[in-house]
Amino acid sequence: MTCSILNIIFFSMLWVHLLCLSIIFFYLQYYLNPVTMSIRLNILQIHFVLLISRQGKVRLTKWYSPYSQKERSKVIRELSGMILTRGPKLCNFVEWRGFKVVYKRYASLYFCMCINQEDNELEVLEIIHHYVEILDRYFGSVCELDLIFNFHKAYYILDEVLIAGELQESSKKTVARLVAAQDSLVEAAKEEANSISNIIAQATK
Amino acid sequence: MNPFSSGTRLRDMIRAIRACKTAAEERAVVRKECASIRAAVSDNDNDYRHRNLAKLMFIHMLGYPTHFGQMECLKLIAAPGFPEKRIGYLGLMLLLDERQEVLMLVTNSLKQDLNHTNQYIVGLALCALGNISSAEMARDLAPEVERLLQFRDPNVRKKAALCSIRIIKKVPDLAENFVNAVASLLKEKHHGVLLTAIQLCADLCIISEEALEYFRKKCTEGLVKVLKDAVNSPYAPEYDIAGIADPFLQIRLLRILRILGHGDADASDLMNDVLAQVATKTESNKNAGNAILYECVETIMSIEDSGGLRVLAINILGRFLSNRDNNIRYVALNMLMKAISVDGQAVQRHRATILECVKDSDASIRKRALELVYLLVNESNVQPLTKELIDYLEVSDQDFKADLTAKICSIVENLSPEKIWYIDQMLRVLCEAGNYVKDDVWHALIVVITNASNLHGYTVRSLYRAIQTSGDQEAVVRVAVWCIGEYGDLLINNIGMLDIEEPITVTENDAVDVIEVAIKRHTSDLTTRAMCLIALLKLSSRFPSLSQRIKNIVTQSKGSLLLELQQRSIEFDSIIEKHQNLRSALVERMPVLDEATYSGRRAGSLPQAVSTSQGNALQLPNGGPKTVDAPLLDLLDLGADEPAQPNSSANSFLQDLLGGDILSTSTQSGTTQPQKSGTDVLLDLLSTGSSSAQNGSSTVDIFSVSQDNKTSVSALDMLSSAIVPTTQPLPTPGGSGSPIVDLLDGVGPTPPVPKDNGPAYPPVVVFESKALSLIFNFSKEPESPQTTHIEASFSNKSSEVYTDFIFQAAVPKFLQLNLEPASSNNLPANGNGSITQKLRVTNNQHGKKSLVMRIRISYKLNNKDMLEEGQISNFPRGL
Repeated sequence: MTCSILNIIFFSMLWVHLLCLSIIFFYLQYYLNPVTMSIRLNILQIHFVLLISRQGKVRLTKWYSPYSQKERSKVIRELSGMILTRGPKLCNFVEWRGFKVVYKRYASLYFCMCINQEDNELEVLEIIHHYVEILDRYFGSVCELDLIFNFHKAYYILDEVLIAGELQESSKKTVARLVAAQDSLVEAAKEEANSISNIIAQATK
Repeated sequence: MNPFSSGTRLRDMIRAIRACKTAAEERAVVRKECASIRAAVSDNDNDYRHRNLAKLMFIHMLGYPTHFGQMECLKLIAAPGFPEKRIGYLGLMLLLDERQEVLMLVTNSLKQDLNHTNQYIVGLALCALGNISSAEMARDLAPEVERLLQFRDPNVRKKAALCSIRIIKKVPDLAENFVNAVASLLKEKHHGVLLTAIQLCADLCIISEEALEYFRKKCTEGLVKVLKDAVNSPYAPEYDIAGIADPFLQIRLLRILRILGHGDADASDLMNDVLAQVATKTESNKNAGNAILYECVETIMSIEDSGGLRVLAINILGRFLSNRDNNIRYVALNMLMKAISVDGQAVQRHRATILECVKDSDASIRKRALELVYLLVNESNVQPLTKELIDYLEVSDQDFKADLTAKICSIVENLSPEKIWYIDQMLRVLCEAGNYVKDDVWHALIVVITNASNLHGYTVRSLYRAIQTSGDQEAVVRVAVWCIGEYGDLLINNIGMLDIEEPITVTENDAVDVIEVAIKRHTSDLTTRAMCLIALLKLSSRFPSLSQRIKNIVTQSKGSLLLELQQRSIEFDSIIEKHQNLRSALVERMPVLDEATYSGRRAGSLPQAVSTSQGNALQLPNGGPKTVDAPLLDLLDLGADEPAQPNSSANSFLQDLLGGDILSTSTQSGTTQPQKSGTDVLLDLLSTGSSSAQNGSSTVDIFSVSQDNKTSVSALDMLSSAIVPTTQPLPTPGGSGSPIVDLLDGVGPTPPVPKDNGPAYPPVVVFESKALSLIFNFSKEPESPQTTHIEASFSNKSSEVYTDFIFQAAVPKFLQLNLEPASSNNLPANGNGSITQKLRVTNNQHGKKSLVMRIRISYKLNNKDMLEEGQISNFPRGL
């Protein structure tokens, strides 16, 4: 089955073999031990980003390390249990399964990022704040509803801030500019589509 | 087609879902939406595809299955317009992860988009690749990404840099391709580019020693200067956070300097000044500043020693520790743990503050502080520290007690200056948190008590007092019951009084009361009750006047439903009643338990005890196929469950993969050129997934020729050796002509197969790592030269027992492998004892090809899963 799909794309049989094999080995590595690979390279890497509401509803998830669908929901359950119950004046770090989860509450939302045990927690707090400020500027004093109805926008912005679990841009202005530019591309495409459909509509009248 | 068929708008769907009062309602709404999306998917509806995908993403976030939308992402990505691609890539990153094979289909689209003229589309593709790339995508698209590192727009360059990190993490062999590009990126001014280039640089340094040397030489000075500029830069609103210019950049600079300076005095020298500057000039009233200071301290601790800086660093930590912000205190504790190895004395100075942190209201801080205290305890401060900790035990949270108790017990056991102190402290711990004490701890306590013969009286009296106040702690009850049984006479008569003791009056009846209460307590478990019965039997001999009363108590358990108790009760009853003359001899005091034997056995058996219980629970026989759920694991489980059939489907999938190409390439012999390319493919085939850099030598491995044949003719040598029959020694002084002659020799007539006795092969160490070694013993049956019997024996080189030990092997298609169950799945420590496992390998290409095998060994070490993998290619020739 796999091979037949792949054949369509790649002509050489050899190539397919090669790919399948490495899929299997990598799959195995990760299946058994999802994050050990990145532990060995102990450089700040965010394994995942979670936004959880006060009620425990998930508002955004971004996984930079491989977790299976099942693990993901388990992680979310475990972490919301731990984080939502913590008192207000406590520190913003929770130790969890050999990792650290740095979280910060903004109004009704908890922003959580998971990092390695030896990474700089204070910096991650700063990254969270960086992201929140960018969201704030983009939506104009952001609230949970903005992130619910425009969740894709929140993702787009996150993708301009982080890639592969690493910080991409330290200037809020640049991020805002890039997101705006892409939004306007989308708008332009929409208008074009509308005008074309108008022309067609008029022509067919 | 009805344009309204694809249902509601995204916004309306979200509204509808939010309006649901119950989970059931929500499920109904989602089910309806999913149904309409499925319908749209099967209609191949173009107009609403992006909207449907957006809906699916929302549904996915709520935790519902959405796999049917995966192909939609691919279609959107393949669409020409930016809006479609944007949502398509988002969906790709959200709905898929790198392990899904569907991902392979997107490689081509990604390649096109990476070459797109629109920089935003290039950005989207880079972002997707960076977030979910698998190893083979990384391999395929690395050249594109490498090129984009020089793209005109800095925003693409920075994305390409982060994408490269993902690539080199997936395929470390590619690291060297990026070194030069990074060196030039590091000279840029654009913060985004600089930021990402530094991160890439750090990853390169960790992956490759050569890259580290290169950057250390070429870039240290430049980076120091960049940091200096950043620290001294004037106000820049774009990058300013709390009055600090781009803390993110500064932190990353400090981090890369740490990597470059670690273990290199010259590089460390270069950065001393700037580190001092950062440490003194950074404002510490805001989080951003503290984050920089924290990173700076870590860098100072890691680079080569410079006394002045270290003092500065420890002082910063001292300030952190007294900060009122919990976050700052937390990181201070964290860092002090690392600082202990650098300057233990300096950390000791903060002991009092750290001890206060153990009592903090914040669980995270408590945990850190406790770890730190544990490291700080030594012979000189154990007494006051233990006192503090035990005092705190009285008031600590329930959920913290387990951790705290374990640590205190460990401290007391390891560092107690004298026995009486040990007993006192343990009694206090038992009284406060007896229910959290592990069994081995109170067992050890009893051993210590039996050895302290001058303290028997003192101990039993203390325990008598303790059980009055803390009778609810199981461990106290057990130890007290045991001691009263043994030393009841000392309790009554106040024998062996110490000066510090207050005399107490305990009658024989009182002592029996204690036991009676304990045995009748409904919370007492089997162990406690059984101990009570023994204590009663002993007391019946110590206090003959109470025989009748004790007998009455003992008989009450006669009707117990617990077999153990019933039996004890009946037997003891008869001893008390019928064998009074024997009784006193039977229940003499226990002989002194040997401490050394006990602690030795405890250290050895403890992990085993834990693991056997788990082993039973998991029911994991070696190679047993039923317990392994993951279908892919089955692939490596070849032959364990059924006799391997070379052509049978699912199970030999991997075999196919391994075998197919070996066959096809090795048949084309003769000229050198095709052989070369063939072996390259082989090399790739067999080395995918393994991270080590592969060069020519691995082709040698494949054909199992001795390792030293690395000359240019080795490829030919190898080929000949694979074909030439085993008995013929390989001519090593390879003049350029001889290998070819060999080659022809080998191809010419069918090689004569040695038919008589199976030749004897020496045992070979086929796999060796830090933790274990694997030896193969070979034997052959004379009548079937193709079959080799291998006895694998594993030995453990560490000092810990391995449990749940599983060995798995996979072979190429021309081989058949039968794996028999292993002798055990526990591997004793220090190489005393081994696991053996028999393998039977049948070589269908006997005489032409040598054996080759990929192995995986998994086991548990202290309950942690460990995994070792390797390839065996040094089989003796001719198997």
